[in-house]
Amino acid sequence: MVRQYVQKNSGTAADAQDVFQESVMVLWLTVKEGRFKAGQDGEAGGFLFRVAKNKWLDTVRSAAHRNMKIVHEDRTSEVRADVPDDIEDRIVRLRGVYEKLDDKCRTVLDRFYYERKDLATIATEMGVEEESIRTIKYRCMMKLRALRRTIAGEDNLGEL
Amino acid sequence: MNQNPIDRTRFEAIEAYVLGSMPMDERSAFESEMTKDSALRAEVELQRENTLAVELGAMERTLKAMRAEHAGLAEPGSAGWTNYLKYAAAIAIVLSAALWMLTRPSASERLFAEHYTADPGLPVPMSATDDPAFHDAMVAFKLGDLAEARVKWSTLLQAEPTNDTLRYYIASAALAMDDAAAAIPLFASVAADPTSGFRTKAQWYLFLAYVNAGDIAKAKGMPFDDEPTYGERVREIKSELR
Repeated sequence: MVRQYVQKNSGTAADAQDVFQESVMVLWLTVKEGRFKAGQDGEAGGFLFRVAKNKWLDTVRSAAHRNMKIVHEDRTSEVRADVPDDIEDRIVRLRGVYEKLDDKCRTVLDRFYYERKDLATIATEMGVEEESIRTIKYRCMMKLRALRRTIAGEDNLGEL
Repeated sequence: MNQNPIDRTRFEAIEAYVLGSMPMDERSAFESEMTKDSALRAEVELQRENTLAVELGAMERTLKAMRAEHAGLAEPGSAGWTNYLKYAAAIAIVLSAALWMLTRPSASERLFAEHYTADPGLPVPMSATDDPAFHDAMVAFKLGDLAEARVKWSTLLQAEPTNDTLRYYIASAALAMDDAAAAIPLFASVAADPTSGFRTKAQWYLFLAYVNAGDIAKAKGMPFDDEPTYGERVREIKSELR
């Protein structure tokens, strides 16, 4: 559905993939933060499509794509209602935090927090001692913690 | 926020709390500490945000890696597209599963709902003059005004702190209000009192309160399997608890 919609509205298959990927992130964070209103506007698939559709419409309307033609702009004002207003900003902010990590940190933290593997399993996979993984995880999370001061400082500067 | 690193033990306690892997009894103490310590609350919030950042980043990395594996996606109908659609379907399934996991009742919630029936309360005689305050609260309890009954009985309990009837019914009202944390210590005190006429029922409801709270270890640890009235149901619930 997403691909069809994007391609009918001047997009390419790669555009459809970009939009789909971004929409999955919006759905994931909305669910994760308990803000997905199940039963109100259909299932996750419907939500995903509405988010993707809005994202593509935003792209089409942007300065870089003014020559594109929109053929399926139906009910666009109401479909935004179930997407929390600040979710896109939250994604940008969280992405910015993650991007500060080096590859070693990402590898360990991804496996522990995202894949929910235990320390012993990660240690076996990486061929190191469990205690080393525990230390790496701690140090990486302390790096993230320290970064908050920088990020908070940038925010304050931005508000000046 | 304090910029000095927190020690590893403290960090891992906060991490366990955020990930939901902290044992129930430690969790209660931790939450109690949080109510008094704003710095700890800030650390918990920060850990929650950082965990979210890692999860989101890892998911994006996974999506990109999967996409890169399927070169040739630009042409609909190609093998790349077929693979991409399979991958999209897989993500939809994962998300649907995540939604289902979020909304479905846990095994303990389901078992509690299946087996819990609120205590019917004591009969209230029309001419109850011996203890009107107690009976007034009992009327509220029977009418479903649980908060009112709880407040009234709690006031009486201050004057009679060892009264097992009051403890039992305050706990019953609390559990009926889904406040297992408040019900547990009260039921436990009555269940441990060999002279109380409410002892057996208090043991049963204590068991159910542990189930309600998801404290499976304590529910399973209750030596209540051979009790003539409730033993069979206790064994059945224990066999389904994971």
